[in-house]
Order: sequence, then structure tokens, then C-alpha cells
Amino acid sequence: MSLMGVNKEPIDVLIERQQKEPETVAKERLDIILKAVELKVPSRVPISGLGGDIMAYYNGKTWYDVCYDFEKAREAVLSFAKNFPQDFPFILAPYGLEGFIFALAFSDFPDFSNIIRFLTGPVHDIIKDKWSRWPGRELREHQHPQFLGGEFMKPEEYKQLIDDPLKFIHDVVFPRACPGLGKPKSPQWNGTLIRIGLTLQRVASFQGALFQELGKLGYPAIPMTSAYSPADIIGDFLRHPTGAMLDMRRHPDDFKAACEALIEHILKVATAIPPTPPLTISFIPLHLNEMLSPKLYNEFYWPYLKKVILELVNKGYKMFIFFEGDHTPHVDTILELPKGWGVAWFERPRDFIKDVWEKLKGHTCVMGGVPTNLLVGGTPEKIEEYVKNLLNQTKSEGGFILSTGVAELPKETPKQNIRAYINAALKYGE
Amino acid sequence: MSSSEEFVNAILELEEEKALKITRERLEAGEDPLKILDDLKVVAEKVGEKYEKGEFFVADLVMAGEIMKEVSELVRPKLKELGKAREPIGKFVIGTVEGDIHDIGKNIVVTMAEAAGFEVIDLGVDVPPQKFVEAIKQHNPDVVGMSGLLTLAIESMKKTIDAIKNAGLRDKVKIIIGGGRVDEYAKEYTGADAWTNDAATGIRIMLGWVGGKKV
Repeated sequence: MSLMGVNKEPIDVLIERQQKEPETVAKERLDIILKAVELKVPSRVPISGLGGDIMAYYNGKTWYDVCYDFEKAREAVLSFAKNFPQDFPFILAPYGLEGFIFALAFSDFPDFSNIIRFLTGPVHDIIKDKWSRWPGRELREHQHPQFLGGEFMKPEEYKQLIDDPLKFIHDVVFPRACPGLGKPKSPQWNGTLIRIGLTLQRVASFQGALFQELGKLGYPAIPMTSAYSPADIIGDFLRHPTGAMLDMRRHPDDFKAACEALIEHILKVATAIPPTPPLTISFIPLHLNEMLSPKLYNEFYWPYLKKVILELVNKGYKMFIFFEGDHTPHVDTILELPKGWGVAWFERPRDFIKDVWEKLKGHTCVMGGVPTNLLVGGTPEKIEEYVKNLLNQTKSEGGFILSTGVAELPKETPKQNIRAYINAALKYGE
Repeated sequence: MSSSEEFVNAILELEEEKALKITRERLEAGEDPLKILDDLKVVAEKVGEKYEKGEFFVADLVMAGEIMKEVSELVRPKLKELGKAREPIGKFVIGTVEGDIHDIGKNIVVTMAEAAGFEVIDLGVDVPPQKFVEAIKQHNPDVVGMSGLLTLAIESMKKTIDAIKNAGLRDKVKIIIGGGRVDEYAKEYTGADAWTNDAATGIRIMLGWVGGKKV
């Protein structure tokens, strides 16, 4: 087959095409993504969901490299993008961890609120935040950077948060969570902020150049802004998820008032980049969702998230929401949103077809369907069979993006398995 | 309803104040504190049932675990005062595997396993395979739990189980892997005996394993 050089595998044809005619491929990609988002039937089901360890290690880099050494991060991203083509990749380079609290804190500064949204290693070095751990710093160089969160607000401080969220974050949370900043208004504090600015500029210009290069590999540039679920701000950055879950029972009114107070600031971050046709995406990763019973979800989580989504959809954004974990118990609430509101990426629903696809098809663009562990531990034959079967059940309906549950493939993932995944998607997705 | 039933129900209804009030009343009435702890084992079992039926979610486990912890703390001084100790139903070694430092899930398991009557040896986070092997040699546990949130944790779980095999200890312990991203594929791949996405089911599986053995 491929060895003969005559009957190339579909993936090899695409690898060649995306280098030879990147503009055409980028157009095709944008077109199939748009069609999927608009719930139409694209010429081929878009492929997504490849990344993580495998991207860092594929051409011999470490996690330290892709977090701190921009040149090596560039090489890692480009060589992976070249050899494992996908249509809707989620690329963070230098690698970024959850850092929406910074976007929120600077939500009055639309020129950089979305640039500071993901926490990077270089910024972590400056502020020494306690939310995250980084390779070559707190972790060994080959370890994945990790977001830990923590408790940086006491339950009795809800009132202050509610009264003025931004002031509370700057005055109370930052000094506790970011010892690198020193004392507020001190020379160290001021100098550190300038140093963050210089670093962000370096990160932003690197990313700009990288996206240009990805364009030369046929990857379309789709503008993306960031939003967040109000309850997750409390869980991720202020009270720790455990604390947030206890607060829902012990301080229910405070919790709800805080969610309400955070909405306008979240919207400011999301709208910092205006919606531009044909497609501007606003990304929200959900965290507490699967941990909550429908009762708690419907009282403390969904009403506030829904407000954020509806506002942004009304303004012309398409949402891109990562439903972490098993969102099965809450899937029905998605139907409360207007048809075609955006892309829902499901990590680990109990039964993808029954619990997610059958309920949402024709209403929501659904992304996912492939268990990450199938790519890690399966065989190329099993993967082909699985993808073929999945696509046969979904492709004629449209509004589907093929993806793993989370773009975090460990470095041991066999390359032939990833190729089998892409090959099967190209073969059976048309 | 006996105070024991009322107590169990209060925790299952997640009524923190009520559960603590009954605990204090039972202790003041001179009831054997061990009986209260036995009730916690019943709670742990029922919490697992509720989770499996889809009536409980992680947030409910967190709350139930918190109440169980508070109850244990109220009971402990009384137990000490009477010179009594609880006979553990089994020994359990747990840790978050190498490369991963997440511990929310692990901590819920620790709280619930202790409340259920296990003697728990918590190895912490980012635990290398060799440390699991040494802990098995030292503590001779019935069950080994490996926790991890990251996808890469699954590779570490496999390495750890391989190390346990190579040390000739695999037949001596039951192994359960847990975390958001483990599944049947991960169980097969790592060679564990069981997998779980949640603490409550994990505790139920462990209680099943040690069930016939002691108590």
C-alpha cells in the first residue's frame, strides 16, 4: 500500500496537500468547520482532538521545552501539525494552563485581557502563583504542567467579592495567591506588573508568528475569545472545587450572588475581541459541571453559565464549550439554548451516541465520540472499526466534529494509532 | 426510628447540623463510640449505593465525607478516653501516581475509606512506582489504590503495577485505579483489578473485597 508509493494512505495525501496547497486546504478546513457549526453536512467530517504529551514529545522535546523554550515549542507544534493533520486543532504554545482569573482581573483592558487569559510558564516565574505547577520549576522537566488551584478566599469574604469582584481580586486574592507580586503598590508590585507586560508581548508576538506558519500548513486562523462559567471562577481560583461544593450547601445565597456579580466582567473579557464573520468562537472549559447533581447544577451552575452563553450568542459569537468529565446528567439543559449556538465538546459521556448525539443532533454541533484511551491502548484495526462505526451513525446528519474526549494523548500513544484515527476519519467521514 | 437509623439518614440527607447534633447526643448518653463508627461504615456503603443509582454526585460525596470526618473527630476523644480502638476492616495504601499531583479525588477516597473503617496509608501525590512497592512490603495492605487525573497517569499506573508484579507482590494485593480519565480500557491496559471514576463506587468495591475477610 503506502510503501509502494502508488496507493498512498489518505493521511499521506493530506500531509502532502497541506504543504503544497495550504491556502486551498485552509479554505476547505474553514468550510467544513463552518458547516459543522451551522449544523449542516460538510463535505467531510472535521477531525480534532489530537495534542498533549504526544505533541511535546513527538519530535523529542520535553514539557519544559514547550512551556519555556519558544523555539522548541514552535518546532514541536509545527512538526506535529505537519505529520498529524487535523482540521480544528486546539493549540496552546507556549503551553498554557487555566488562568482566566487574570483575564477577569484585567477585564477593563480589552487590548490584553485575552492575551493574559492562559497562564504560561514565563508569567508563572514572575508572579510565582500558587495555582499552577510547572516543569523545570516545581515539577521535573518531563512532567506535564498542572493546574492545582487552591483556597485563596475565606467563606466569610463572599460579601467583599460580591461588592466589587475586581477590587477583591486585586487587593485580596492576588497578594495571597501570587507572592511574586509582593505587597500591593510597592516598587516590587509595580515592577512585576511591567515585567508581566513585557513577557506578554513576547508571548503574543511568538504566537502571531506561529499562527502564520500554521497557516502555511493549511490551518485556518479562527479568532477565539474566552469566557467562563461563573461558578468555576469560585471553584478554580477562589475557594478550591471542594470549598465551592461545600459553600453551595453552607452559603448558598452568597454563592449565587457571587456568580451573578461575576457575569458582567466575564462578558467584558469575551467581547474584547469583536465577533467577525464568518466565525468567531468564544471558548469556555467547564470544571465543576460533572461533580454536581442536577439539583445543584440547576441552582448554582447552569443559570449563570446560561446567561453568559445567551449574551454572547446574541452578540454574534459561536460558543465552544468543553464539557469536562461525564456531562450526561445535564445534557438536556443544553436544549434550552437557541439552535446552532455553538460547539459542545464532550469528554466522557456514558454513551456518546445515546446520551449526547441522539439528544443534541440538529440542535448543537457535537464534538467528541472517541475515547482517548482507545488511541492509547487500542490497535489500528480496532480504531478504524470504531471510527467507521461512529461516523456512519453521525455524518449524514451533519453538525458533528470527530474528536477524542480530551486533546491529551500521553507520549506512549502509538503513532500508528494516531495515523489510523486520521486515516479512518478521512476514509469514512466523507 | 432508632438514633442509629436517624443518624445514618441525617448524613445521607446531607444534614450536617442534625448529624453532628445526634452524634453529640449519642456520646452524652454514654453510647459506645464504636457503635457510632460502625454506623459510619453503613453510611459509606449506602453512599456508594446512592452514587451508583445516580442519586449522589461528587459534590454530595464531598459533603457526606465532610460530615463523616466531623463525626469521627467528635468520636475520637471519647474513644481515647475509654482506651478503645477501632479494629480496621482492612489495610489500604493509596497515592496519586508519578507525574500527577492532583489530589481532590484521592482525598475524598481517603476520608471515606477511613470513615468506612479502613486503616489508610496515604502516600501523597506524585508517588513513584518504587514507593508503592516499598509501602506494600512495609504495610502488607489488602488493597492498593492508584489515583490520577491526567491522561499520563494511566501510563504511570501501568508502570507502578508492572513494578509491583516484578517485585512478586501482585498476588498479595487487590489493585484499584481511580480518576476522571480511567475506564475499562485503562483497567485492561494497566492490569488493575478494578477501576472507578468516583470515590463512592471505589469504596464499595473495596468493601466487597475485604467483606468476607474480617469483621
